Amino acid sequence: MRHSNGNLILGAATIAFAILVIFIWIPLDTQTGLIEKVRRQVTIGDALAPTIAASFLAIGGLMLVLFERNADDQPKVSPQDVLFGLALIASIIISILVMRYAGPATVGLWNLLSGSEAEYRLLRDTAPWKYIGFLLGGTVMITMLVSLVEGRLRVKTLMIAFISVSVMAAIYDLPFDDLLLPPNGDV
Amino acid sequence: MGTLDYIWLGILAVFQGPELFSIFGLPISVTLVMILFGFLTGIAVGATPGLAGPIAMAIALPILISIFGYTPDALLPVMGFLIGVMKGATIGGAVPAILFNTPGTPDAYMTTLDGYPMTQKGQARKALRVAHFASASGDTFSDIVLIICAPFLALLVEAYLDFPEKTALLILSLSFIGAVIGGSPAKGVLSTGLGLLAVYIGTGEDFYPRMSMGSDQLNQGFPIATSVLGVLIIGAVFKEMTDLWHQRRSSGTRPSFQDEGNQRLSRAEIGRLLPFVGRSALIGTAIGALPGIGSTLAATLGYTVGRARHARTKAEGAPDFGDGAPEGIAATEAANSSVSGANLIPVLSLGIPGNAAAVFLILAAESIGGFNPGPSVFRFTQDVVNPELVIAFGLFTAMFIANALNWTIGGLFMRSTGIMVRIPKHILLPTVLLLTLTAIYVQEARIEAIWFALGFGALGYVMRLLAISPLPFVIAFILGGKLEESARQAFAATGGDAWFLFGSPISILFIAASVAIILFSARRKKQEL
Amino acid sequence: MKRTLKAAIAAIGLAVSATAGMAADWTPPGPIKLMIAFRAGGGADTQARLIAEALEEKMGWKFIPEQVTGKGGLNMANTLKGQPNDGTAIGLAVTETFGYNMAAANAGMSPEDFTGLTTTAGFQMGIVAPSGKGWSSFEDMIAAAKGGQDIRFGVMSPKLADLAYLLGKAQGVDFNIVQVKGGKAVMNGVTAGDLDVGFMAGIQAKGVASGDLVNLASGLSQPLVQTPDAPTMADLGVDFDSDGYFVFVGPAGMPDDARKALSEAIAAVVSDESSKAGGLVKKAFGGSATIMGNDLTQLMSDDYSNAGTLMDAASE
Repeated sequence: MRHSNGNLILGAATIAFAILVIFIWIPLDTQTGLIEKVRRQVTIGDALAPTIAASFLAIGGLMLVLFERNADDQPKVSPQDVLFGLALIASIIISILVMRYAGPATVGLWNLLSGSEAEYRLLRDTAPWKYIGFLLGGTVMITMLVSLVEGRLRVKTLMIAFISVSVMAAIYDLPFDDLLLPPNGDV
Repeated sequence: MGTLDYIWLGILAVFQGPELFSIFGLPISVTLVMILFGFLTGIAVGATPGLAGPIAMAIALPILISIFGYTPDALLPVMGFLIGVMKGATIGGAVPAILFNTPGTPDAYMTTLDGYPMTQKGQARKALRVAHFASASGDTFSDIVLIICAPFLALLVEAYLDFPEKTALLILSLSFIGAVIGGSPAKGVLSTGLGLLAVYIGTGEDFYPRMSMGSDQLNQGFPIATSVLGVLIIGAVFKEMTDLWHQRRSSGTRPSFQDEGNQRLSRAEIGRLLPFVGRSALIGTAIGALPGIGSTLAATLGYTVGRARHARTKAEGAPDFGDGAPEGIAATEAANSSVSGANLIPVLSLGIPGNAAAVFLILAAESIGGFNPGPSVFRFTQDVVNPELVIAFGLFTAMFIANALNWTIGGLFMRSTGIMVRIPKHILLPTVLLLTLTAIYVQEARIEAIWFALGFGALGYVMRLLAISPLPFVIAFILGGKLEESARQAFAATGGDAWFLFGSPISILFIAASVAIILFSARRKKQEL
Repeated sequence: MKRTLKAAIAAIGLAVSATAGMAADWTPPGPIKLMIAFRAGGGADTQARLIAEALEEKMGWKFIPEQVTGKGGLNMANTLKGQPNDGTAIGLAVTETFGYNMAAANAGMSPEDFTGLTTTAGFQMGIVAPSGKGWSSFEDMIAAAKGGQDIRFGVMSPKLADLAYLLGKAQGVDFNIVQVKGGKAVMNGVTAGDLDVGFMAGIQAKGVASGDLVNLASGLSQPLVQTPDAPTMADLGVDFDSDGYFVFVGPAGMPDDARKALSEAIAAVVSDESSKAGGLVKKAFGGSATIMGNDLTQLMSDDYSNAGTLMDAASE
């Protein structure tokens, strides 16, 4: 019986990545080498640990190529799965961008309309401003993900999403003074 | 301060902690209430397919930390809750396995083999009783072993292991975990390597955050919550959603069965189950004590051993394993439940987590501070109280309170959670995802944390597609910092000896064992083919 | 609910103090982000959180505490540097961060990138050994080292590593200097026997009192309060010391009214031993030490410029 060559490809790719890490990424992107003399003391440098990590990768890759090339439990990755995964991640990225910028955009709009000079950063702990991003972004996220799985967009989904996001906001925000909903911690 | 004093202080710490309310003048400490909440939550999430203990722990942790703050007083209530979830989820997982042929947690898969046939025969409630009895027995046994073994192991480690040996022990644990978790040693080692690489990015001693490609966002490295929750939970959510998407058209209505006959467990029946429970509890505890070998293997082994015995001893006409034998459920549930207590032996005595629940206990301890699981916890100081030891005994107390809850109200509550399976998974999963991202954000308070978590989620998804177990990744991520730190210290303490790993018989033994484990498991895998 | 209540109370408080003619002329324009350069749960972290809590109660200001740890406080400094300087972002670190660490990292930051607000407390830095070693004085340890014993010296920062090295050099011995993460780790190492001696910045007090640990020497320019007879660094032939403080800072160019209001409010809280924060400072760090204004600016810039001398000495 012919086996898939998934493990062979994965093993080879891992080895290639490990070599790349050891010989290019680490030397170019760390300040000290494997072992360093700092002032008068010989110490372990910053490059040693990642080199060991990459060696684990290389060993794993080698084991795949040498011992498990013909294993019968090799997974088959369908392009469908990859595409669906990408769709999921893209939806989340869009929703987080909405979450991040909805608040400041609303404040900007408000300033335009009323001529005031409010700053979202200073309003991020003040209702209702602080809820705008989370509610909008969260609702978009849940709606998009549910619709992806269902294969259709329904008003009901949108409502369920909005309600569950509101409940979530209440859980994290109302009882606790110190918790800031995204994106209010670092705007 | 003798040992008994410490045990007593630990018990008092649980019962006399900050008081929440009092019943008839009897103060009820907040820790007790948290254990109860955790336990009930655990049963509920365990009984919900698609959720599991770790998800509940991940979402609850930042909320709990905000309630209780960053003080040592917070440790027992928060970790008590987590322990409650851990124990509750163990018995909850059996509910959908028995009632609907869908395991609520991965280790409950073997429970479906005899549980669902019993349901089909109208013995659903009896099957649940068997599962609960076996699970609670296995769990309690395992906890007793934990409490006896952990302090001794810690004292042994502290007495005999110096910096170089501790480094060698970490290498041994990582090799062992990599080689043993999941079906493929090669992929386990690969997963370990990825976890180490991830934790080394942006960290280190130099001012320039290594391997950060010049970006400012990485100058503290990846926060531990983003990698653990990303790979373990967000990755799992992505995978589950993909599976749902594949099967969205093939959903049907669930068949329902009427209960028939006596659903109680008689003394004689318990007597027949006991040998199976006992063996499986021993197997599960032994497996649990080794870091990384999960409850799934324990369940499989317990079931196999039970089946062999059942074939020899069963009465004429009694069902075989796989046809609805209560012994089958007992053998599985006792085995997978007895992993959980023993799994905390390496965590508490060495600081090496062996499963997802242990990972979250470490995460809680790290976030709150004031308790560093590891050998230094078990220092029985005489004059000054060692607060960490009190916490450790407090945790043991919490486990026994959870066990008491399990024996008293666990069965009742468990039998009422059959309804959880009706929650639509495709709505539940996105909600869990947003909850997890929010949980990460409120703890880290910067938007990069969400991007990191999403990236790790994607990594976890790809790892699942390629059948690479994410657990070695997570454990390596947690131990990576310790490994580098102890290597630096060993190097400095030996006066800059590059061969410090080979300076003592113990560390040579550890290193030889790590090489042997990897070679042995790789060869065995090859021979299997 | 709780929040509204708090806001209401704060508003009433403000109104009352305004009518009493005691209004602070500065209030933060928004919530104040408080970056803590220490691990959660330790004494330093608890100090920061208690101070924030006390100020929220007393002044009605809103704080958002956040951990930015790593690289001896430099990660925090680096993040704080880019924040707005209107008083809505401050941080807690130690003076060593802006002195030795900043100079050693050579990362394009100097104390001039920051506005010093106030120190809160100093360290009782001792050189501590377990009593089980049988050393009752620094000389005993040096004698043991000269007798051929390897001495493992635990330190928790590069500056202390340099000081340990100079100490060995002045005494004619070679220590194996082991850097660990935090004073707690030094103490654990020393009590477990993995380390022979180490710097501890105050956590040794209980152990010394009970007789488990011994202060062999003071790491400061002054004798230790607990063990006044132990020699100082200068007594042992080293011209440098580990004098240092916890310090609150903000980004450079903070307006004077904001700087003054913040530093005075913080100093008032830590100096008040009946407050939770003040009590902790008293218990854990031996009492408050509040240096602010130009004195603090001077202290920070001196630390920074002196760091080079120490590094040169330690490189020889």
